[in-house]
Amino acid sequence: MNRNIVISFGFHTLLVLITAMSLPFLSKKPIDLPPIVSVELIQITDKTNIPFAPKAKKIIEKVKEKEKEKKLVSEQAPPKIVKKEKPDAVPLPDEKIEKVKKIKEEKQNPEKIETEVKQVSEFEKKDLFDPNSIAALIDKSKIESAESNKKLDKITQDQDKSIDLSALSLSEEDALKAQIFGCWSIPLGLPYNENLLVRIKLQLKPDGTIIRSEILDHARMNKPGQGFYKVLAESALRAVKLCQPLRVPSTGYERWKELQLNFDAREMLEG
Amino acid sequence: MNLSKILKNSFMVLIASLVLTACATQKKSTNLTQGDVYTGTETVEYLASGVKDRVFFATNETVLTTASRETLRKQAAWLRKNSKITIVLEGHADERGTREYNLALGERRANSAKDYLLTYGISSDRISVISYGKERPVDSGSTPLSWSKNRRSVTVKAN
Amino acid sequence: MLFRYLFFLLILFPIKTFALIEVDITRGNLNPLPIAVSPLSIDEDSKKSFNQILKKKNIGSEISSVVENNLKKSGLFNPLNKDAFLQKPEIANLKPRFEDWNLIKAQALITGKVKFVDEKLRVEFRLWDVLAGKEMMALAFTTVPSNWRRVGHIITDKVYERLTGEKGYFDTRIIYVSEEGPKTNRVKKLAIMDQDGFNNKFLTLGNELVLTPRFSPTNQMVTYLSYFRNLPRVYLLDIETGMQEVVGDFPGMTFAPRFSPDGKKIIMSFAKDGNSDIYTMDLENRIVERVTNHPSIDTSPSFSPNGKKITFNSDRSGYQQIYIMDSNGKNVKRISFGNGLYGTPVWSPRGDLIAFTKLHKGKFYIGVMRTDGTGERLLTENFYQEAPSWSPNGRVLIFYRETKTNSKGEGFSAKLWSIDLTGYNEKLVETETDASDPSWSSLLGN
Repeated sequence: MNRNIVISFGFHTLLVLITAMSLPFLSKKPIDLPPIVSVELIQITDKTNIPFAPKAKKIIEKVKEKEKEKKLVSEQAPPKIVKKEKPDAVPLPDEKIEKVKKIKEEKQNPEKIETEVKQVSEFEKKDLFDPNSIAALIDKSKIESAESNKKLDKITQDQDKSIDLSALSLSEEDALKAQIFGCWSIPLGLPYNENLLVRIKLQLKPDGTIIRSEILDHARMNKPGQGFYKVLAESALRAVKLCQPLRVPSTGYERWKELQLNFDAREMLEG
Repeated sequence: MNLSKILKNSFMVLIASLVLTACATQKKSTNLTQGDVYTGTETVEYLASGVKDRVFFATNETVLTTASRETLRKQAAWLRKNSKITIVLEGHADERGTREYNLALGERRANSAKDYLLTYGISSDRISVISYGKERPVDSGSTPLSWSKNRRSVTVKAN
Repeated sequence: MLFRYLFFLLILFPIKTFALIEVDITRGNLNPLPIAVSPLSIDEDSKKSFNQILKKKNIGSEISSVVENNLKKSGLFNPLNKDAFLQKPEIANLKPRFEDWNLIKAQALITGKVKFVDEKLRVEFRLWDVLAGKEMMALAFTTVPSNWRRVGHIITDKVYERLTGEKGYFDTRIIYVSEEGPKTNRVKKLAIMDQDGFNNKFLTLGNELVLTPRFSPTNQMVTYLSYFRNLPRVYLLDIETGMQEVVGDFPGMTFAPRFSPDGKKIIMSFAKDGNSDIYTMDLENRIVERVTNHPSIDTSPSFSPNGKKITFNSDRSGYQQIYIMDSNGKNVKRISFGNGLYGTPVWSPRGDLIAFTKLHKGKFYIGVMRTDGTGERLLTENFYQEAPSWSPNGRVLIFYRETKTNSKGEGFSAKLWSIDLTGYNEKLVETETDASDPSWSSLLGN
């Protein structure tokens, strides 16, 4: 009886081994199915929900972006770089879906989604549906989930108050950024390794239209060897003009009637 | 369990596993190639009775196989008998490589054959070498078998 | 007293000064820029004259079509539908009504004028920033009427450079090998065409096998491999005169020829007794210099744009890999280390990257890497493709692809394809016949 079992076991393992060796498709990775998309969007609020300083948020963003980049860039397949998009992008291309996937795992408030979906439709009326804006908003939710990562240590409640007075709340800032991301057509020919920062100072009306725009580093426009700066600055000005009326907060005009936008193309081009 | 049942079961398992191994990825040797080197006669022509005009190579290789050496020995013998004949050795490569490297590879293959003929006393001024890289396949197929037929050095009468 | 009053006022009612809010914009979109290309306006007399000479009814629209197609094919611009244009060319050229163009969402506008003057073609064009409502650029050219397509290409180059910061690549030509016939007996001819596929011309008759042509930086000479009289050798061909001559007097096959960046030397491989090494020949004094000296196969050399270094293909490690060395052959260094075989290295005209062909697990890839071998990026994958060549601005690669044959050995084709450095905008380059071995010229105007 025992002998039979041993023989049977032996043949079975042999069978399994042979099967495993001669049917290579079994060892392939499972296909990434895009999940049903439900995107967590953030309401614009007056007060800040998250007591982060804007800089901390940037650091967290960068870290998460880098992690994603490592995953997506592979030797074999044509790389789908996280930030870049195909010109005829279908809403929510793969990269964004991957981000959403991550966030979904960490989300905990299903009730919130309903009210925010309503808000979304209002935004959509204003400007063209743009995956970039959703991406920016997703970034925002990344930060919300990062909350649980205990990166709060350095931030205190005091900062919360100061953010209110002298800056846009993160949600206000993100809404404006998302809007401008969609309007800024970055010229692809800019040299990767140069300073690609152009600062534009704006004077705004309460409804978000521009009274005056000024390039702060004007001297660079005509400097020899910095020809690309002119192209960069013009693209930034076009973006701002195209985006009028800007998505400004509904209150606190005194705070933001003069605004400085720092356009930096480095991140997008380095990828 | 009695013996007949055991035998029946193991027989079934054996058949099943054999069937499965048959489905395994195609091993490199078929009856027309050994390793990766063509051993068939389909595209082979003859310089004289029993003297094949070509030798074949493995992918990216320029070494002569035993079979190749035998063919070349026969060619050498035939050349000694017909001392007025001069030849051109044409080296070729398959299409699965970059164009310029394949030109160099073909030249090396032809020279492999030439060097061997020299060791059998054939004077080097009777032999010239030309490479066609992947430009003159004999088999236009896109299968490993087709490619193996194209990896060759062909001896062509020059006069 | 007054002073105290003021002091108290200041304490009780502090003037709220807000720090200037700064918002960082670090992302944008890479969508093609919507641009309106208005047909160039032309007066009736000029129209008639050009129709007589060139057999084109409206040379103004023909030229703007050249510009439009170029911009569209670059993948960076979205030329808007002409039917939606509200302003007529004659009016738009003088002072566009920017609201009209804004309405159709154009961010930039090209207008212009064509005139027949002194038997010549004179073109003026302007580039406008629709959103800012001002002129960005205004240029004029005069040339012989038969060059009208080049005018379109030059306009595109200027507009492209102004809007992207990058030099253009539209006033260029592509030389390639035109192929016809069954795979076992392909007839190959050298052919040359404008980068947009027009003005195709055959340079050889197809009587002997020709391969791997390359342009000289001065653009009127071409070097290539020919099997004339069954002797594979490197030749020089003058496009304008049609004169051909063999390069050097080598006792064996020479192949894989390219020009040095100054156009004064040819660098190539010379194969003898089973070994291929790299040599140069000076075209003026005819002095031949040996660059590599190694029993391995060394081929596919390519100079860096400053002429100081050479990248090449060698199997000295056992398999085809990419190496760089000084132009005198010293300091040989391997730079490709991934899994697979690497070949056809070409140094970008910008000097920053080397493009290559890679073969791995039965698939061919076109890729780029930095000149130290890091940052390898594969741009496209296929059953068979190879031999990338750079556009003069180092942003686009042209290469060729072959298809599989079916079980009967039929269905073989070879075509030219191009792809942007970012991996986007992969598209077929139309040719009359099958085509392979493409090489991109530098800008013709230089």
